[in-house]
Amino acid sequence: MTTPPLNQPAISARNLRLTLGSGTAAVEILKGIDLTVPAGQTLALLGPSGSGKSSLMAVLTGLERATSGDLSVAGANFAAMDEDALALARRGRIGIVLQAFHLLPTMTAQENVATPMELAGMDNAWERAAEELAAVGLAHRLTHYPAQLSGGEQQRVAIARALAPRPPLIFADEPTGNLDTTTGHAIMDVLLARRADTGATLVMITHDRDLANLCDRVVTLGDGLIVSDTTR
Amino acid sequence: MSERSATTLGWRAAWGIARRDLHRQFRGLRLLLVCLFLGVGALAAIGSLTSAIRSELDGQGQVILGGDFEVEVYQRPLTEEETAFLERYGELSPGLRMQAMASAGEAASPVELKAVAPNWPLYGTLTLADGSAAGDLPPDGAWIAQGVAERLGVSAGDRFTIGTLPLTVAGIIGEEPDRLSEGFTLGQTVIVGLDVPAAAGLTLPGAMYETKTRVRFTGADDPTAVEEELEERFPESGLDTRTRDRASPGAERFVSRMGEFLTLVGLAALVIAGIGIGLGVGSYLEARRAGIATLKILGATSGDIARIYTLQIGAAALAGSLAGLAAGVLVTPLLAGALGELLPVSAGVTVAPLALLRALAFGLLVTLVFAAPPVLRARAFPAMALMRERVAPLGAGSWRAALVPVGLGLAGIALLALAGSPTPGLSAGFLGGAMALLGLLALLGFGIRKAARNVPRPAHPIWRAALANLHRPGAATGALVTALGFGLSAFVLLAAVQTSLDGNIRRSVPAIAPDYFVLDIPKTRLEEFSGVIAAVAPDAAIESTPTLRGQVIAYGDPDNPTVVAELEELPEGAWGLRGERGMTYAAQVPPGNVLAQGEWWPPMYRGEPLVSVDEELATAAGLKLGDIITISVLGVQKTATIASFRRLDWESMGFNYVFVFSPNTLIDAPHNVAATVSFQDGQVPPGLLRQLAVTFPSSSVIEVGPILSEARAILDQVSLAILAAASVAVLAGVAVLLGAIAAARAARIYDTVILRVLGASRGQLLGLQFAEFGLLAAVLAGVALVLGSGLAWLVITQLFEFDWLPDWPRILAVLGAGLALVLVFAFLASLPVLRARPAAALRSL
Repeated sequence: MTTPPLNQPAISARNLRLTLGSGTAAVEILKGIDLTVPAGQTLALLGPSGSGKSSLMAVLTGLERATSGDLSVAGANFAAMDEDALALARRGRIGIVLQAFHLLPTMTAQENVATPMELAGMDNAWERAAEELAAVGLAHRLTHYPAQLSGGEQQRVAIARALAPRPPLIFADEPTGNLDTTTGHAIMDVLLARRADTGATLVMITHDRDLANLCDRVVTLGDGLIVSDTTR
Repeated sequence: MSERSATTLGWRAAWGIARRDLHRQFRGLRLLLVCLFLGVGALAAIGSLTSAIRSELDGQGQVILGGDFEVEVYQRPLTEEETAFLERYGELSPGLRMQAMASAGEAASPVELKAVAPNWPLYGTLTLADGSAAGDLPPDGAWIAQGVAERLGVSAGDRFTIGTLPLTVAGIIGEEPDRLSEGFTLGQTVIVGLDVPAAAGLTLPGAMYETKTRVRFTGADDPTAVEEELEERFPESGLDTRTRDRASPGAERFVSRMGEFLTLVGLAALVIAGIGIGLGVGSYLEARRAGIATLKILGATSGDIARIYTLQIGAAALAGSLAGLAAGVLVTPLLAGALGELLPVSAGVTVAPLALLRALAFGLLVTLVFAAPPVLRARAFPAMALMRERVAPLGAGSWRAALVPVGLGLAGIALLALAGSPTPGLSAGFLGGAMALLGLLALLGFGIRKAARNVPRPAHPIWRAALANLHRPGAATGALVTALGFGLSAFVLLAAVQTSLDGNIRRSVPAIAPDYFVLDIPKTRLEEFSGVIAAVAPDAAIESTPTLRGQVIAYGDPDNPTVVAELEELPEGAWGLRGERGMTYAAQVPPGNVLAQGEWWPPMYRGEPLVSVDEELATAAGLKLGDIITISVLGVQKTATIASFRRLDWESMGFNYVFVFSPNTLIDAPHNVAATVSFQDGQVPPGLLRQLAVTFPSSSVIEVGPILSEARAILDQVSLAILAAASVAVLAGVAVLLGAIAAARAARIYDTVILRVLGASRGQLLGLQFAEFGLLAAVLAGVALVLGSGLAWLVITQLFEFDWLPDWPRILAVLGAGLALVLVFAFLASLPVLRARPAAALRSL
């Protein structure tokens, strides 16, 4: 897999479908998504609960394989990969920030941030983790465990972890959903600032239209389909 | 078409992540640690003890044998040629051993008489009870065992009599250097000068004695080479030999067998611990679902996950096993204490690297077998779980991937258990049996869970909830029935076998066995002997038989007989052809024997010499009627034709001879008579022993009572050692129980809190715990009683062919103690659940 050239879109999805379960219990979650995201764009995915936002993100990040359709992410044909190949494709190329942070509780902040770089076999993972934490304002929290950090601090660690390997693509699933309004806005500032520093493509799921409006483009989902697509 | 991943995290990088994620005190993996600690510790202790004794036996070979080489022969000293042959290699120390009677005043005692040359012992030192070295034996002196001194009421300087010869007690024996190589004795030892037996009239022609000549090599000769040369030079002389390398084959065999058996019991305990390991690792990985999913989101492949958690579990397994090894080494003296005088040599704290490596390897292999399935399930855990709760059951379909590591682990365990085993067949049988038992218990557990689901719901809510806990999703009933059922069944099995054997020794054997075996009664004085007995015990039953010792030289086809000395290996089961053994002649079929084939010789038969052979030996050696047997008795060869085969009655506990000749074959050979005496109700008339010692000074009496007491003491000690090993299985089962309670803690707290919210009192909740564990205990008691006593019945009646005489109160007490242990731990582990405060718990649920 190679990093896409500048003129190549970061994400290119054609007629993407996802069905979970089988037989009479089968539920069609995504019903034919067509989406192209140019490199460097920031995109917000809006939509009510059950509209398919999280499922679309899972498919775009390779956490779930689409039932059918074509999908190219960062130049790689995700539709043709098995789970391990998708994991390898994520390494150093896709950063993910989740609503519930999902830091590894047994590791310090620095260890959490270093882990994806170590998995990708990158050099100086330890030093780079410290730099990235300093960039999100946590230089003084390197040796703290997640349980010793506030919710906002935990999400900053999660952002640092997602950005540290310098991925060309960042996905964020409700990154402020577990935080109060003030902390949420501060986190968004950090996320967008670091995104701007690295020039990565950002795809963010949110319920909050105000947060969505901070992005270049807003795509709204409804019942597994794109119902609106607005570029600012 | 799919791309396969080619890049997997290196072991070093995987360890970097694994180490970080691993709690310093192995939190979450403590069940694994405890189980391995127990199982590996037990195996290490058993292995260390066996190794220590073996190395002591090997290292002390010369002292134990009393020489570099030993030659034994019955009823004669070595010939001049044999002596000259041995003298080429070094210094000789001739000796003699036999049964005799000692008396002093009104007291008498059967003794093991050991006559030694002045240069005895060639190696080591005889120590007296006061700790001093014995020095030289005075001409009319004797060193006597403490038991003889007590029975005769004598001490150093007092006079006593052996046969017809008065002797003086020169000292009480403390430690006899070559005691171990003497093997099992029928009386306490009295050590006298080499000329005493003859002077006391004990070695007249026909008397039963054995001479032993020890050699101390002056050069660097190989004892085995000397042994082979001796056998080649004197093939038909009936000489038995021993070398310093196998000074005490009986003790070595005992230690080896006991060690192997205890190892197998320990291994079974480790397998039980393996169930705990599986549960513990499963719970640990279950608690790490989010972490595993996060790692996958960060780019970890399933291979990376397997490596990271294999390393974590491997590290914990190594830590638990190493702690077990250390504990095993430290408790070796305790195990040695439990075995007491059963052990041929003393054993303190010893480090036996090979035994410890073996225990470690067992621990790691059992971990592989039981931890591989949950690790492989975790490998298949989907990253999507973080975004969608439990989309798929953990590791559905991953069991096939576990077949290879589990199969390899099981094969490794079997190979390790069988490698170096003195009886691989027996070990394989034990392993197979244990596996079958575990499989049966697992099936029972499954059945009990299913039955709990299908029985009508009790009306009372507490009983309803207790019953539901046995079959609820995630209930560990199957694992608990298997783990605890095995240990408790082993308890019942051991208790039933031990009490049955004890019952046989105390009740059945004395009822069948005679009270006295009397050896070396001159054949001309048999009537006088019967008269002495009848005078004090008119109802006593006396059976007598001529006794000779002889060696089979050749057997089979009269025209082309098989020469025993030329056989590389005896036919299997034909032990009767080996070395010197007891032989007799009889005019009639011996009591208890049944003629299976052929005909018995008529009364007053005077034709060609005939012999009747044990049917089993005949089958093993391929003998048929009309074949010949050539024997050597006191250096004279005699050939007899096989006239019949007999079925022997070994259970009669009387005299049983493999070869019974027609009287005309052996009646002229010098020999004595042996007799059994059975008194009415086992009541031995007081003073009879003393009277026999005085009237028949060259005869010796073997008392059955003390031998049975000794057998019971040995049985008690062996049982204690096995019970200790089996206790590890119960403790491992308890660890599994605690692990299962801890694993289901969240669900239990949830239930408790909901019940509290619904108005249940603390007493009612306690009742629920009582009801649940009471149900489990009742189930386990039933399983253990049925399985344990069923297996014990098989062992006693089919394997030992004894009477089934279990002591039920004792068995139930042992089972009750085991169950009480289980229940106490279960309640202690449940206390935090009972203490859960509804408000706090509901917030965190």
